[in-house]
Amino acid sequence: MTDQGLAVAWREAWRLPLPTSRRGRVLVGIRVAALLVLLGIVATTPGFFTAVSLFSLLNTTSFIGCVAVGMTFITLSGNIMSFALSVTLSTSGMVFISALPLGLPAALVAAFAFGAALTGFQGAVIGYFRANPIIVSMAALALITGGATLITQGQGIYPQGDAAAALKGRVFGVPMPLAAFILTVVVAQAVLSFTRFGRQLYMVGSNWRAALAAGLDPARVVLGAYVAAGLCAALAGIMMAARYSSGDLELGLGYDYSAISAVLVGGTAISGGEGSAIRTLIGAFIIAVCQVLLLLHGFSPQIQYLAIGLIVLFVIMLQTLADSD
Amino acid sequence: MRTLFTNRSVRPYLLLVVITLVLWALDRGQGRFFTTGTAYSVLQQFATVGPIALGLGLSMIIREFDLSVGGMLSLSGCVAVLSGADYPALGVALAVLCGLAWGLFQGGVMVWLRLGSIGVTLGGLLTLGGLAYVVTGNLSISYPRMDVAMAVNHPVLGVLSLRSLVALAAFLAAAFFMARTRVGRDVYATGSDRRAAMVAGVRTSVIVPAIFACSGMLAALAGALLSYSLAAASGVALTDALVPATASAIIGGVSLTGGKGTPIGIVGGVLVLGLLNAGLNAIGTPPAVQDVVTGGVLFIVAVADAVDLDPRLFAMRRTWVELFYRPREPSPAE
Repeated sequence: MTDQGLAVAWREAWRLPLPTSRRGRVLVGIRVAALLVLLGIVATTPGFFTAVSLFSLLNTTSFIGCVAVGMTFITLSGNIMSFALSVTLSTSGMVFISALPLGLPAALVAAFAFGAALTGFQGAVIGYFRANPIIVSMAALALITGGATLITQGQGIYPQGDAAAALKGRVFGVPMPLAAFILTVVVAQAVLSFTRFGRQLYMVGSNWRAALAAGLDPARVVLGAYVAAGLCAALAGIMMAARYSSGDLELGLGYDYSAISAVLVGGTAISGGEGSAIRTLIGAFIIAVCQVLLLLHGFSPQIQYLAIGLIVLFVIMLQTLADSD
Repeated sequence: MRTLFTNRSVRPYLLLVVITLVLWALDRGQGRFFTTGTAYSVLQQFATVGPIALGLGLSMIIREFDLSVGGMLSLSGCVAVLSGADYPALGVALAVLCGLAWGLFQGGVMVWLRLGSIGVTLGGLLTLGGLAYVVTGNLSISYPRMDVAMAVNHPVLGVLSLRSLVALAAFLAAAFFMARTRVGRDVYATGSDRRAAMVAGVRTSVIVPAIFACSGMLAALAGALLSYSLAAASGVALTDALVPATASAIIGGVSLTGGKGTPIGIVGGVLVLGLLNAGLNAIGTPPAVQDVVTGGVLFIVAVADAVDLDPRLFAMRRTWVELFYRPREPSPAE
C-alpha cells in the first residue's frame, strides 16, 4: 500500500477536506450541526451514561449493525437495497443451530456458506442478467420464507448440547455481538478501502457503463457485493441464534428496514458509489442513541418508530444537496 | 396471433388459463377447485391487493416505485377504524384524504428536490408505519360496527362483494384514463422518456405528484375497506402487502423500466396470484407452498425482464456452439 493510496482511502472514509461546492458545504454544515445537537441532548440527559441503557443500546445495535454493513455493500454497488437479508439472517441461524452437533467450526462454516450462497445466487442473477434488484430480493424473500417454513414445518430449531456457549461470552470484556459488529466494520472498511474489489465496487456503483468501458467485470463485482452481504447477515444470524439459543424465522424480522435506515442515516448515497462501512457504523449508533434518548425522556416506543422514519426521510431529502452538483 | 402472444397485457391471462388447467388437473376431479367459494376468495383477494397493485403499477409505469404503499395501507386502516365508527363513509373519506395528501407530498418532494422515488418512499414507508403505531397507541383497535364489516364482504351475485366492486370500479376508471385520454398518453410518455416528454410539452412535474397521489389514495382505499371487513386495525398487521402487490403488477406486464403495462394487465396479474393462492388453498396445500409459488413466479418474471438477459443468452449459445461445433482450422502448411 503506497502512501498515496492510504491518503485516498483516508479521504474516502471521512470525506476530508471540505467539499468545494457551496451546496456540499451546506450539507456538511447541517450534518455537523445535527450531530452537535444530538451530543448536546445526550450530555444533558440524566441517566444516559448508566450501564443499563448503554448495554441495551450496544446489544440491539450490534445485530442490526452487522446486517447494515452487509446492506452497505449492496447499496454501494448501485443496487439500492435487499428485502431478503433478514430471512438470510434467520435461515443462516437455523442452519447454524442444526449443524451444531457436527461441532462449532463446522456449524460456523455451514452457516456462512449457506448465507453467502443464498445472497450470492441473487447477486449472480442481478449482476449477470441485470435483473431488477428490488424484484429479485422480493422473490428471494418469498421463496426463502416459504421454503424454510416447509422444511421446518413452522417450528423453531433448538440446539442440542452446549457447543454454542463460546459465542455467548465476552472478548476482552466486550460482549460477543458488539465485538463481532466492530470486527465486521473493520474488515468491511478494509476491504472497501484497500482492496481492488473495494475500489471496483465504488466504480461499478457510481457508473456501471463507465466501469464496463474501463475493462472491469461489473457483474462479478456485484456478485462479490452480494456474497459479502450474505456473510454479514449470516454472522448476525449466528450471533442471534447463539444468544437466544434458538433458530426461527422471527429472528431477523424487520431488520431489512432497520439496516437500510442505518445505511442511509450514515450518509451512504442511495444511488450507489458513495459511502463507507464506518458511515454505516455511525448511522447505526445515531439511530440507537435517538432510540435510547426518546426512551429516557419518556416517549413511547411508537414515537420512536415515527422518529426514525422522519429521520430517514430528512436524511434522504438532504442527499439532494450533495447529488445536484 | 403472434401479436396476441407477445402482448404484455395478454400474458397474465394466458397464465391464468394455464394455472386453471393445472389446478384442475391437481384436483383430480374431486370438485374442490371449481366452486363459487374459490371464485369469491379470489375476488376478495383481488379487492385487497388489486388497488395497491394498481397504484404501485401506475408508479412503475412512470418509472418510479412507490414503496410506501404498505405503510399507507396500515395507516389508512387505523384512520378509518378510529374515525369511521359513526359514519363509515367519513372514515373512508378521511383515509383517502390521508393517501392523497401523503402522495402529493412525496411526489412534490421528488419533483422539487429531483430525488429518486425509492429513497423518498422508503422514508415514507417508515414514517407512515410509525404514524400508524402512534395513532393506535401501539395497540390493536377493534371496529365496533359489525354491520359494516358484514356489509362490505356480503356476497353480491355469489362471487362479488362491495369491496371487490369498489376495486373493479377503480380499475375500470384507471383503464379508461390510461387508454382513452390525453392524461394517459402523457403518463406513458413520462415513463418511457422523461426528458423527451418534457421537451414535447408534457407537464411531468404535475404528472409525477398526481400519480403518487393516485397510488396513495388507492392504497388508502384498500386499507380502509380491509380494516372495515376485518373489524380491526393495528400498526403491524398490514405491512406484508408490498410483495404480492409488486408481484401482481410485474406479472401483469408492468415493467420497472417504465412506459409499459396497462391497468387491464394488472387485473390479470392480481387474478393470477389470487387464483394460485385460493386454488392451492382449496386443494389443501400448506400456505407456505403459496409463498414458494409466488416467489418462483416473481423470480421467473424478474429474469425474463432482465436488461442483459438477451446478450448473456447469446454469449452462452455462442460458447456452446464453439465448444461442440468448432470449425476446422486451416493447417499452417496451406
